[in-house]
Amino acid sequence: MRFAHIADVHLGSWREPKLRELSTLAFIEAIKRCIDKKADFVLISGDLFNTSLPPIESLKLAVTELKRLKDAGIPTYTIAGSHDFSPSGKTMLDVLEEADLVKNVCKGSVDEGKLRLEFTLDAKTGAKITGMLGKKGMLEKKYYEDLSRKELEEEKGFKIFMFHTAISELKTEELEMMDAAPVSLLPRGFDYYAGGHVHIVKEASIEGHKNLVYPGPVFPNSFAELEKLGCGGFYLYDDGKLAYEKIELRKVATISIDCEHKSPAQITEKAFEEITRNKLDGAILLLRFAGTIETGKTSEIAFNRIIELAQERGAYFVMKNTSKLATREFDEIKVKADTTEEVERLVMEEHVGQIKSLKLNPEQEKELVTRLMLALDIEKEEGEKQADYEARVNAEMSKIINA
Amino acid sequence: MIKGQVIGGELGKVLIRQKSDAELEIGEILVCGETEKILLQVYDLVYGSQISPQNLELISGMKLEDNAETEFFDERLRNYTIAFAKPIAVLRSSNVTLCKQLPRFFKEVRQVENSDLAFITTPKDPLFIGNLRSGSKMLDVPVSLPGKEVFAHHILISATTGRGKSNLVKVMLWSIVDKDYCGVLVLDPHDEYYGRNGEGLKNHPSHERVVYYTPRDAPPGTRTLKINIKQVKPEHFRGAVAFSDAQWQAMNAYYKEYGNKWIESVILEKPLKLDFHEATVGVLKRRLTHLMDIDFDGSQVYCKGVFDISAGETTVKDIANELEQGRTVIVDTSGFSGAVEILIGSMITNEAFSRYKGYKAKGLLDAKPVISVVLEEAPRVLGKEVLESGSNIFSTIAREGRKFKVGLTAITQLPSLIPREILANMNTKIILGTEMKPERQAIIESASQDLSQDDRNIASLDKGEAIITSNFVKFAMPVKIPLFEGRAATAGKTEQKKAFEGVKLK
Repeated sequence: MRFAHIADVHLGSWREPKLRELSTLAFIEAIKRCIDKKADFVLISGDLFNTSLPPIESLKLAVTELKRLKDAGIPTYTIAGSHDFSPSGKTMLDVLEEADLVKNVCKGSVDEGKLRLEFTLDAKTGAKITGMLGKKGMLEKKYYEDLSRKELEEEKGFKIFMFHTAISELKTEELEMMDAAPVSLLPRGFDYYAGGHVHIVKEASIEGHKNLVYPGPVFPNSFAELEKLGCGGFYLYDDGKLAYEKIELRKVATISIDCEHKSPAQITEKAFEEITRNKLDGAILLLRFAGTIETGKTSEIAFNRIIELAQERGAYFVMKNTSKLATREFDEIKVKADTTEEVERLVMEEHVGQIKSLKLNPEQEKELVTRLMLALDIEKEEGEKQADYEARVNAEMSKIINA
Repeated sequence: MIKGQVIGGELGKVLIRQKSDAELEIGEILVCGETEKILLQVYDLVYGSQISPQNLELISGMKLEDNAETEFFDERLRNYTIAFAKPIAVLRSSNVTLCKQLPRFFKEVRQVENSDLAFITTPKDPLFIGNLRSGSKMLDVPVSLPGKEVFAHHILISATTGRGKSNLVKVMLWSIVDKDYCGVLVLDPHDEYYGRNGEGLKNHPSHERVVYYTPRDAPPGTRTLKINIKQVKPEHFRGAVAFSDAQWQAMNAYYKEYGNKWIESVILEKPLKLDFHEATVGVLKRRLTHLMDIDFDGSQVYCKGVFDISAGETTVKDIANELEQGRTVIVDTSGFSGAVEILIGSMITNEAFSRYKGYKAKGLLDAKPVISVVLEEAPRVLGKEVLESGSNIFSTIAREGRKFKVGLTAITQLPSLIPREILANMNTKIILGTEMKPERQAIIESASQDLSQDDRNIASLDKGEAIITSNFVKFAMPVKIPLFEGRAATAGKTEQKKAFEGVKLK
């Protein structure tokens, strides 16, 4: 049995056209390799799209590539991730499933308050696949708590569990503060656990759970990921053997400038020096500026000239990160982070305890805020009037507050 | 009810003649006076008689040998019990002070009533211990300590096996699970607190605030204990394993050269700039592989147990975060050797303590909950012999943790093995039945209140009976700890509405 395990494609995530193009090419390359390597089937463990209602271009790309798989006789099994699942329960995966391009394996029934997941059988290999969707703020954790495990664990045959949740035991140091669930919430005894959501490349086995795998994204989705991962990829399972398939479309070069006790002019000069010293032919250049500058403002650093120089030296694309750069002249911004999710989490934690009237404990308050944020994430539908849209959002908010 | 009358004695040793229809017990609390009440506690009992010893022997002989019935004096007057009692407090309206006076001569004493004890109120940030006890009678007066202070100033729980230590710890933990003022780390060598197979903290209505780490067969929702070997530093072994000086030096040299890959480097015998004897590195490697259950094939290290090369990178930090959030973290160490248990405890405690030191330096400590580390068989890390070979994180906390809001809850059968200076730092002692004289002596000598007359009292404590001596109570309080079993059944449960949005349901 040979199958590919992809996750966190996040089609449409990059705004910069050059990086968006690389992201697209990485997905196309992943699908091409699945076909070339004659995978029996493909698993996509959530977040195929970056939003629940993706732009037409992303949708078109997904349809084209999934159709290539279908035409090659390779079925695709998916679950919804935190990005492609809307609070109203809508996901573009439903459309893809209607078109018979993917099979959403997160299905089942409710029996006496317990969720009974069902297996989807892969006709060619006999593999039995099931899984759990991921939701923002890890709201799927409650689903796991109410999951009926016995029949899943007792089922015979080759079993795969797809999930889109951070597992506490597998978090890396950088992800220390990320909300996570213990591995014990996943049913035991499966042959492969196809993970998504956490953008790390990791495989491990923990008592009763063998082959727990996070393939990471097919292309990094942020400055931090480009810096840490360098490139994307996916996993290939081949009769018990695991192999990580790297998709390296461009080299990534990182230059870190220590700005401590330096003036803007000195920082600019240091950046020039470093860029001139490095070979940047066709590489994505990551410029990280960190430290507290001695005098002046950060805007006095000649970022434009630095970027121009890097481009002249052949850099394909230049990104700068100043999240760890501070000045003595201004108060430090309280919340600084590399990702949107991290900013949201930090802001939420900074303000927790302020909703007095509902008498909630901090955990309940965080859950309420997460749900409200999800409700505010509802997008306006095509042809929907502004007033109807507002009423729909209001109704959703009232439902959450009054629950 | 009148129990007796003051007939003599001195301060700290008041003699009370028991009334013929009353029963007095060791530990019983009596009240003398009405407007100004003196609380007395019985610490010893002897016989008293109006008949001379020679006549008593004669009467006994006549009764035993000849079955003769001989009566002297009035039955209620001839023989009685004399109680030795110590004044423990004086109550003037709502004021409670230490007793510096004798009760009036010939004054009657009566049994204590709940209304006499109205001054015992629930403090801020309560830590429930049990109900006030008079002798063996449990009163309807709950005793709670000011948890925030008590935890920071360390607690010692002393008892012989089978006198209810585990029950007491369970009761204490149950009372604080839903409180934000403290985070408690429980190193649980008997896997008894979570309640994997019976009642335990998992049954608490706020069970989401209890985090359970276990290396085996983790019940759904609990954490599988995995610690990445990259997180282990040489200093964590202090107090856990007795390495030779040369081995310590080799460990530090590897750490300096290979950073968080030092254990892997020792196992794979990677070269060092400094020269160490081959045998030193060999023994170090053998001890580390054995202790941490590590295997290798020449170029690759494999882990089989709680220590891992892939998983568990954030476990120690996760636990420290949970403690900072005021949660109760139970680590099941039942499958480990003592050394591994202490190593893991040391890693977590080090992380929490160094964070709190940082918070103090930044002026952020006030907003943080107090942290307490529950340590069974405390002399393993706080014993005189262990500390002779150097301090460890637990002894450091015992000495200076109070300033940083980190305390120990040390449990032991053998307090005499703990240095006097550390015992004196433990400002709250909960004393359960202790049979061995040297152990009682160690406790009495380091108690916050004068327990010099309570030797017999401590020896006679039955299962579940305790004496609390603390800087945070007015007098040494006798308590009866309720049984933990049954608490879960009486705890209310709230059913939440279940919905599975996003799952394709039939």
